[in-house]
Amino acid sequence: MAQANTSGGFALDVPVQRHRLDNGLRVVLSEDHSAPIACIAVYYHVGMRLEPPGRTGFAHLFEHLMFQGSQNLGKMELVRHVQQNGGTLNGSTRYDFTNYFEVMPSNAIDLALWMEADRMRGPVITQAELDNQRDVVKNEIRVNVLNRPYGSFPWLEMQERAFENWHNSHNGYGDMADLDAASLEDVQAFFDAYYSPANAVLVVVGDLDSEETLALAKRYFEDIPAATPPAPADLTEPRQEEERRWSYTDPLANRPALAVSYHVPPSGTPEYYAMGLLNELLAEGQDSLLHAELVEKRALTGDVEGDLNFLGHMHNAQTPLLWTTTMMHDTDVTPDALIEGIDAVLEGVRSTAQSEATLKRLRSKARSGLLRTMAEGGYPRFGIADLLASFELLEGDASRINELDARFAAVTPEVLLATAQEYLRPTNRNILVLEAGVAE
Amino acid sequence: MTSSYPRPEVIPLESSPLPERRIETIGDGVQATLVSAGVVPVTGLRLVVHAGSADVPEGMTWLDRYVHDYLMEGTEALEAGAFASALAELGGHLSVSGDEHTTTLSTEVPSEHATEAVELLVSAARTPRFPDGSAERLRDDLHRSRAVVSTQPGWLAHAAFRNALYAGHPYGTVLPTDEQIEAFTTDAARGFWEARAGGPNVRFMVAGMFDGDAILESANRALSGWSGAPAPAVSPPSTSSSRVVHYVERPGAEQSTLQLGLRVPAPGHEDYVPLEVLNSLLGGSFYSRITLNIREDKGYTYSPRSAISSRPGDAYWAESADVTTNVTGASIREILGEIERLRSEPPSEDELRGIINYVSGTFVLRQATPGGILNHLEFLDLHGLDTSYSANYVARVRDVTPEEIQRLAQQYLDPAAMPIVVVGDRAQVEEQVAEFGSPA
Repeated sequence: MAQANTSGGFALDVPVQRHRLDNGLRVVLSEDHSAPIACIAVYYHVGMRLEPPGRTGFAHLFEHLMFQGSQNLGKMELVRHVQQNGGTLNGSTRYDFTNYFEVMPSNAIDLALWMEADRMRGPVITQAELDNQRDVVKNEIRVNVLNRPYGSFPWLEMQERAFENWHNSHNGYGDMADLDAASLEDVQAFFDAYYSPANAVLVVVGDLDSEETLALAKRYFEDIPAATPPAPADLTEPRQEEERRWSYTDPLANRPALAVSYHVPPSGTPEYYAMGLLNELLAEGQDSLLHAELVEKRALTGDVEGDLNFLGHMHNAQTPLLWTTTMMHDTDVTPDALIEGIDAVLEGVRSTAQSEATLKRLRSKARSGLLRTMAEGGYPRFGIADLLASFELLEGDASRINELDARFAAVTPEVLLATAQEYLRPTNRNILVLEAGVAE
Repeated sequence: MTSSYPRPEVIPLESSPLPERRIETIGDGVQATLVSAGVVPVTGLRLVVHAGSADVPEGMTWLDRYVHDYLMEGTEALEAGAFASALAELGGHLSVSGDEHTTTLSTEVPSEHATEAVELLVSAARTPRFPDGSAERLRDDLHRSRAVVSTQPGWLAHAAFRNALYAGHPYGTVLPTDEQIEAFTTDAARGFWEARAGGPNVRFMVAGMFDGDAILESANRALSGWSGAPAPAVSPPSTSSSRVVHYVERPGAEQSTLQLGLRVPAPGHEDYVPLEVLNSLLGGSFYSRITLNIREDKGYTYSPRSAISSRPGDAYWAESADVTTNVTGASIREILGEIERLRSEPPSEDELRGIINYVSGTFVLRQATPGGILNHLEFLDLHGLDTSYSANYVARVRDVTPEEIQRLAQQYLDPAAMPIVVVGDRAQVEEQVAEFGSPA
């Protein structure tokens, strides 16, 4: 993948092979023979944004049910086969997609493909299994949100307030009452609507033989009946024209916190990549401007964080998204003191173009973050598989992974300045104050 | 719609050779270990210093964290912001973390910048600036961290469990008081660091893609003349535990956060590797007995897990779970029941074979990314193990027999010696829990 380039550095060139089976399933393969392992991943183009009204949390509950059995696999048998053949697995539900993946010794690619094809034919589950996973999911929400300080901060609290469109704003973890209402009929309807071959991408990354793997993919997946993929939903948000501010009390927290969010430019545009670089400039690392101002100079907080996607990074979700910066602080520091510091920084960034040297540093940080994601990604080979699947699903072409360097390189000081002026304007801002409910 | 193909059999890989290690001594007795891995042009660099939380003077819990924060405050040559910018230009940022006996400075950079990044990484450890002007701000950050973690159920359980196992030993105290933090000074931080950092107390570890000769030359130059005395040998604690229930009050909590377990032999002991197999079978993997029981059968919890935590000559096994409040007692009964079942009958050959494949397979998976390799190198160094441990690991795992698992459970997992920590609503759960032990 990496080759010495003319300047003596290492160029990034991910090998990408793309195919489409007769039933519409897209297959993306990427060889990496550095270790005898592979990641096998299936991404379905349905996430929290598309779950039916009255069924918040359903996309995620459905993900759990995909481990409960299919035609040739009983409850938890898929997990057993993965483990007993030396591998590990997971699944996750995001805004735009739901993924299922195994990381296995490469001799088990055949088995993993067979199992993913089996569950692409549909979950075969009972009411008892639905009830069991409903309980598990409720406990997941308790441990991650309800029984933990800052559990919904800022992601659930901010998206519910900053977005106008229900697809983007609703609680994708789910209201308990909606989870209680979910039925086996809902499971079948959701499967029929979204879990079809033409609405999915299969990615295999690692120590594989492309020809052989494609043949296996055809063998197991191609006779799954085709279905018309769903029409895309309207996710658009109106342009925000005035600043908004909210506060709420977290009954479990003993220190206040602040989140500030701005709607970002549309995915894929030069401005979107400029926004990625603005995040690097403002909030990533100790060289960032907000760290210098709020931590070192004003000593108002110990840490400033920034991101474009509450459930991932800027390359694995589509807009509408928010750029959000968050910080925790002491009770004797007011939110307005922090906002004043943020304003001081943003006014500078919106009035003066950054130098080429600064831009070079920002590109270096962005590229390095991308390389780290590819190399680690939480599970071996999953980082690249996730990027390939995201590009295939969200932009229609996995090979665009290799355009990322060029996209960041194309951001000029002028584009960066214009992006800051339009998207970091105060009228595009959402301020969320978390007040501490626990006194010390 | 049914698949016409039978489930493929997996033919085991003959062997999975681990990536080779290049080990050299550089500078004034610094051991350097380099491992080439992967195809993503990124290099992980770590500098490990043998100085950790158990080495701080009595009554100064978290002084090590104060030192971590201070190591991010720049070097003699570069102020904090300038240091962070210089590293960011190379695509890196400094992270400092630690455990009871080590402090690790790390960064990951694109491969073409690895050689330059080495110099900066070493300077952060060798010539930290310790600006006195940061003393108060860093203390305030620690006060805030202490306050925030004191509201997190997972932290509270960890702190209570450590105290139950190691009362009177530094391992038993993981949270300081505000008075202790207030007594931290720049001189105390500098003194702690300078007494231990240097020469044979330092390890240099590299993994990913890199030019080894160039990195070693740069590291050797940066490290030479940095001397120090070896750290004194660690003497493991001699504490023992008993079945007592330790409550931590969280009135109104929807879940009880449980932790129970006891001390077991440490890495290096002949029973340690088989204990890892036992752990994966009992609670340490998705398809483990406790997880199948209290999650997949009963739905009491989302993420139950057991693990072995280790320090030189010391380790403990513990099961942790966040369970719905009204099934707190039932959950403890099931967990203890699974432990008793393993003590009373050996697992089947089939079940054990599956777990053996899982443990050996995922060991190989973890050696396939720079981060996984570096974590393993740190583990070996902490426990004084050499390359033969890694080389023989899979063979030792494959030798484990059902009788050995039962013998280990009988010998080491005595439920009568397991303290039980319950973080939750004591008034609601005390009656359910009473049969499992008296309150501490």
